Amino acid sequence: MEYENAIEVRGVSRSFRDFALRDVTLTLPGGCILGLVGENGAGKSTLIRLIMNTLRRDAGTITVLGQDNAGPAFSALKEDIGVVLDEAYFPEVLNVRQVGKVLERTYRQWEGDLFSSYIERFALPWDRPFKDFSRGMKMKLAIAAALSHRPRLLILDEATSGLDPIVRDEILDLFLEFAREEGHSILISSHILSDLEKLCDYVAFLHQGQLLFCEEKDRLLETYGIVTCTAQQLKDLPEDAVVSVERSSQYGGVRALVRRNEVAASFGAERATIEEIILFQVKGERVQ
Amino acid sequence: MKGLILKDFYVLTKQMRIFLIMIVILGLMPSINTNVFAVVYAAMLPYTALAYDERSHWDTYASMMPYTVRDLVLSKYILGWCFTAAAALIVLAAGEVERQFVSGISASPAATGLALCVGTLATALTLPLMFRFSVERGRMFFLLLVIVLACGSAGLFSGIAEDPAAAVLTRRLVLILPAATILCSVLSVFLSIRLYQKRMTE
Repeated sequence: MEYENAIEVRGVSRSFRDFALRDVTLTLPGGCILGLVGENGAGKSTLIRLIMNTLRRDAGTITVLGQDNAGPAFSALKEDIGVVLDEAYFPEVLNVRQVGKVLERTYRQWEGDLFSSYIERFALPWDRPFKDFSRGMKMKLAIAAALSHRPRLLILDEATSGLDPIVRDEILDLFLEFAREEGHSILISSHILSDLEKLCDYVAFLHQGQLLFCEEKDRLLETYGIVTCTAQQLKDLPEDAVVSVERSSQYGGVRALVRRNEVAASFGAERATIEEIILFQVKGERVQ
Repeated sequence: MKGLILKDFYVLTKQMRIFLIMIVILGLMPSINTNVFAVVYAAMLPYTALAYDERSHWDTYASMMPYTVRDLVLSKYILGWCFTAAAALIVLAAGEVERQFVSGISASPAATGLALCVGTLATALTLPLMFRFSVERGRMFFLLLVIVLACGSAGLFSGIAEDPAAAVLTRRLVLILPAATILCSVLSVFLSIRLYQKRMTE
């Protein structure tokens, strides 16, 4: 592998009339999976478009698989990048066979046998028009297409949203299978935090166009905990240890997101899930 | 780029089958007006292909593939040129057969050539706007242009077929119009690439 990081985003900004992505810096180390989390309109898709250089940036630099994405060679590098967007954007009259023929003439690295094996594995019909596919079938076809040119990097923009749990699980397993091969990396944006918790090595959280954190998942889970206590007990917690607080209107109690290593064991800090860490960051009452 | 053209071919032959059959029928009919119309009508196919791309969001997806903006733009021009040339060939072939039996009712080779130039010119003049503003908004401009070109050229085409005195004008047009068409098409491709790049990255 001639690069250390699959994606490096440095100080990237982009302003629109009613939204701005501000000074985003994040790194996806080669061979890892980075989950991009954020509410609708947080800037996840904008960031993905910036990474794929289909959107002009106002500031910053982006390197993908060791190459500047604004350079002339980036178009050819897209051979090594499999992209699955939130919808499968194939023309509705095309069938699987025709999609295969079109993509065979699009990617030099296209492997027809591999595509056929995915189509068989997903039990997709070869000759039925795409418009008659269910959402699950459409996304499976998009994933088969993204994987059949042997990419080194997969970029998935809400690729699992709207799928039933069985299909989602099947697809997540496929992504894990892809990531197990040496040098393969994945950037996945999703609303479904349980998926990201299962899949990712790193989690980046975008909120209203700003990156609140980009951390190793295990480190996040290790660092943060939840303390449930009364408002009085909250005052006994070291001020620096409390990240944010959620007050219960019903019982007068509080739940606090804390840094576990700064809180005495007697407080009984429980492990926080990624979802709780993120929700506390957005909805909790900031202490510091 | 072959993949893009093949995709458009699949889409058009499926979605526009009646339209394509109409072009063939109009091209075969022994009538100058319908022959010319068939050729100019074929020049509209890139707009239809672009409209289907926009509807299915294929343009968004294709921008993630190893295609340059130049590929995405040029494929639509090539598609238009191929269909327009094919329509012109049908008209020419049908005209040759018909002239074995009766003369003056089908488009002559010169008239067909001029129709080919007019269709290609219409594509060259309007495609940049479609690439910049989307087909929905660009199509209005195209319709306006077709009306202007149709009114302006109707007398010309009939003159070419019927009036021997128009031979001088025809000879000049035979030289000027193809050159202007080629020049406009080249400039149009470059302009479309710039405009589409701007639209895609805005």
